[in-house]
Amino acid sequence: TGRNQSASEYELTYATPYPPMHPFSRADQRWMTFVEERSSGRLSIRPFWGGALLSADQSVIEIRHGVADIGLITPIYMKGGMHASRAQAGFYGGVRTMEDQVAILKCASHDFPVFSQELRGLRVLALQGGNFPGVLTRSKPVRSLADLQGMRLRTQSETIDVLRRLGADPVDMPMSEVYSALAKGVIDGVVAPADTLKALHLAEVGSYFTELRISRGSYPARAMSLRAWDKLPADLQAVLIESQPVWERALMDEVMRGQEAGYQFGREKGVELIPISAEDQRHFDEVAQQSAAHRAQSLSKYGIDGEAILHRIQELVHERADGKVLSCDGALVGEGV
Amino acid sequence: MGESAEQPAREPVAELESAAARWLERVAFVIGSIGLLGAMAVDSLAVLGRHLGLPILGSIEIVQACVVLLASASMLGATLRAAHARVHILIDRLHGAGKHVLLRCSDLLSAIVFLTFAIGSIWIARELWGGHEHSELLHIPLRWLRALWIVTALTIAAVFVTRVVRKGR
Amino acid sequence: MTPELIGLLGILALLFLLTVGVPIGVSLAVVGLGGLCILIGPEAAVIKAGVVTFETISRYELGVLPLFLLMAHFCFQAGASRDFFEVAVRFVGHRRGGLALASIAGCAGFGAVSGSSLATVATVSSVALPEMRRHGYAPGFATGALAAGGTLGSLIPPSGALIVFGIIAEQSIGRLFAAAVIPGISQALFYMGAIFVMCRINPALGPAILRTPWRERWPAVRRIADIFVLIVFVVGGLMIGWFTPTEAAAVGCVGALGLCAWRRRLSGGMLKEALQTTLRTTGMIYVVILGALLFSVFVSVTGITDQVSQLVRGLDAGPIAAIIVMAIALLLLGSVLDGLALMLLMTPIFLPIVHDLNLSPIWFGIFLVRTMEIGFVHPPLGLNVYVLHEMARDIPLGTIFRGIVPFLVADFLHLALLIAVPALSLWLPSVVSP
Ligand code: NA
Ligand code: NA
Repeated sequence: TGRNQSASEYELTYATPYPPMHPFSRADQRWMTFVEERSSGRLSIRPFWGGALLSADQSVIEIRHGVADIGLITPIYMKGGMHASRAQAGFYGGVRTMEDQVAILKCASHDFPVFSQELRGLRVLALQGGNFPGVLTRSKPVRSLADLQGMRLRTQSETIDVLRRLGADPVDMPMSEVYSALAKGVIDGVVAPADTLKALHLAEVGSYFTELRISRGSYPARAMSLRAWDKLPADLQAVLIESQPVWERALMDEVMRGQEAGYQFGREKGVELIPISAEDQRHFDEVAQQSAAHRAQSLSKYGIDGEAILHRIQELVHERADGKVLSCDGALVGEGV
Repeated sequence: MGESAEQPAREPVAELESAAARWLERVAFVIGSIGLLGAMAVDSLAVLGRHLGLPILGSIEIVQACVVLLASASMLGATLRAAHARVHILIDRLHGAGKHVLLRCSDLLSAIVFLTFAIGSIWIARELWGGHEHSELLHIPLRWLRALWIVTALTIAAVFVTRVVRKGR
Repeated sequence: MTPELIGLLGILALLFLLTVGVPIGVSLAVVGLGGLCILIGPEAAVIKAGVVTFETISRYELGVLPLFLLMAHFCFQAGASRDFFEVAVRFVGHRRGGLALASIAGCAGFGAVSGSSLATVATVSSVALPEMRRHGYAPGFATGALAAGGTLGSLIPPSGALIVFGIIAEQSIGRLFAAAVIPGISQALFYMGAIFVMCRINPALGPAILRTPWRERWPAVRRIADIFVLIVFVVGGLMIGWFTPTEAAAVGCVGALGLCAWRRRLSGGMLKEALQTTLRTTGMIYVVILGALLFSVFVSVTGITDQVSQLVRGLDAGPIAAIIVMAIALLLLGSVLDGLALMLLMTPIFLPIVHDLNLSPIWFGIFLVRTMEIGFVHPPLGLNVYVLHEMARDIPLGTIFRGIVPFLVADFLHLALLIAVPALSLWLPSVVSP
């Protein structure tokens, strides 16, 4: 830390696998501006975009060992060592907003030490929720859940089980192949949030976007290595603590903006938006709930009480639905290295 | 059929004089071939299955495992055969002691690089060993694939080391 | 010492290691790891090495490369390269430089089954070079045509370079392949034009051989019919959507294996030979990729990339000027870096610029691979040249490099055409996929 060529007193590196134009990165830039202004230029952030420094799925390990001081982490992509953090993102059935997703995880992580164990050597600087994926299809519209029957849909791993329970034929393929696969009918559709209509140009190859709300939760999304944290003086640490809600707000704003841009692009390309009936949505949520229960149970093989986590998160979802304000303070800090 | 000449800028194929080297090469060949043919077969079956309406979920994960086998084994094989691409401008013009020193230095650097690969991989594997790292759908345990790569990287480093210490070449 | 200075010293160190004959992948990794040790610390550097290596060797998308190599070897074992060349000889052998023209056509044909420039130059040369020398072709002219012709292998689909570009730039590989078809064919025509002009000026370069009567031409064509069907199946199936690019390689392998059986060439020895050669080349390529990835992490940390992109943006002289600057940078770096390393290094730097200039990333992929290929034949690191040198040790490197100069002229003209007329790349993908 503190490289000499920088004009500021402290310089931290920030790395992300996303390019600078991506909504996530735009939020990151807003956070950087905040930090630099609030520290009166004493603390500056040097960004590395597009995976130049950090990998997409091993960044937790890389930050822990100082490859970058701060970075984007995606526990939901980690195939090992973060089973609780990744599974919990599927426990938010019935959640309504990204604000709620973030607030719920803050409270839940107080109750389960497993989350800080999994974040060993890291200090979380921001949590991130996500907008709700829908179903983009090519030639057959999905107007009810029954239409999913037999459809070959590309989806992320958390949703595979739900789709199977509904009779669809989920496939896993790299996201980079989705455009051409959809264009040529290798797949019938893709489960993705609306921002991909523009970001991945999927509106060019899909005709129908079914607004089935596939619930998802939040996860720790930006983290700093504890070692780099410990080297900062207290007043700059305070700036970073203060920056957490700023970063989280910026992420929500930019994700929403990306979603709007996606819808806008979809309209331009003539994609038909299909609402789903309340009853179908309820049925879908029930199936998703069963799937989440199954997933929670299976955490026991890693020695994690997944059912307790699921129960607590659902409790918090209902508290929010009843209008209760959740305000759990304190940062999510991993154990020392 | 003419001999297939497809090792760019290679040095003359190294003599695989020791029995150990020959054995290693056989092992590398078998593992690499399993990976290569496995990837070919699984991906083709996935295509066939899809067109027959019998999709194979998780075929990508099997292919991924096959790719680890073929990538690791192929690097070991290329090392045993000294098939790594290099610039020959200088090396081909040198003879005797000069060439000898250059080649040894180059082998030493190669050993250090693969040793570093191995150390980094061991460090990560150690952190993930108890973390039940597995693929999404078929739950293929990744730690054994990591272990295979670590053993391979160490073996490649060892092959380079034997070239450094061996007298005359 | 500023990070930029460390970066410059690193590049000098890389040039030194390459020159003294340290393997390319190892040179890249040594400088990359050493530089990272200084810039982000030894622990972080070692962890980065561990992450990069396992992530790369477990990448599904990279598995395509060895599969396309294997497919090419099966086709080679089935006699494809010889057959392509022979058809071409019967049609154009009687013209001046006819065997050279045939070599280009053979390279283009074999390029349609092979994903790499190296594989193409090696396989076609093993047939064509002895023939050309037997008929008294000037050695530099013969090797020049083959070295240049080999680069067709990495543009004409399937293309390993475009696969790697598609992965880095997150572009559809199918669209990239479609975009490469017309540039690939026109590149072959440019080389043929160059041969025609050269033999006009100096007929001694490539004497004509006997004209083959038409009735003897068609049987040769029938001999390649099965390979032709396989190519149409694999490339066509890819474009229509029977399979994804990654699956196409696997299906192509099975098809090529079937072809060997059909031609009664299938045997244990042949299978072993194809697997062995494929694995050897694959291993070589993986080491280069690993080294290149680590080196590019190092280069990004130094901040040199920011400087380069600021330089290009700072010119602010419109897209054409920026493209020309990028082309010059690629050609300069291409003279010292391996093509794949170059692409891994420069794609992330140039892509944001391309985005800012509102250029099509698909077009850029073609431009990048086309420019990079030129690096395969120009000194000091023209890998194709070294492959040829291996096959004909008695032809000095200098002669081979001199023989390439006229083809480089054709390359530059063709590159200019691709820059001036983006539709050459973008029309076909707009037709085959919406
Ligand atoms: Na090709
Ligand atoms: Na080059």
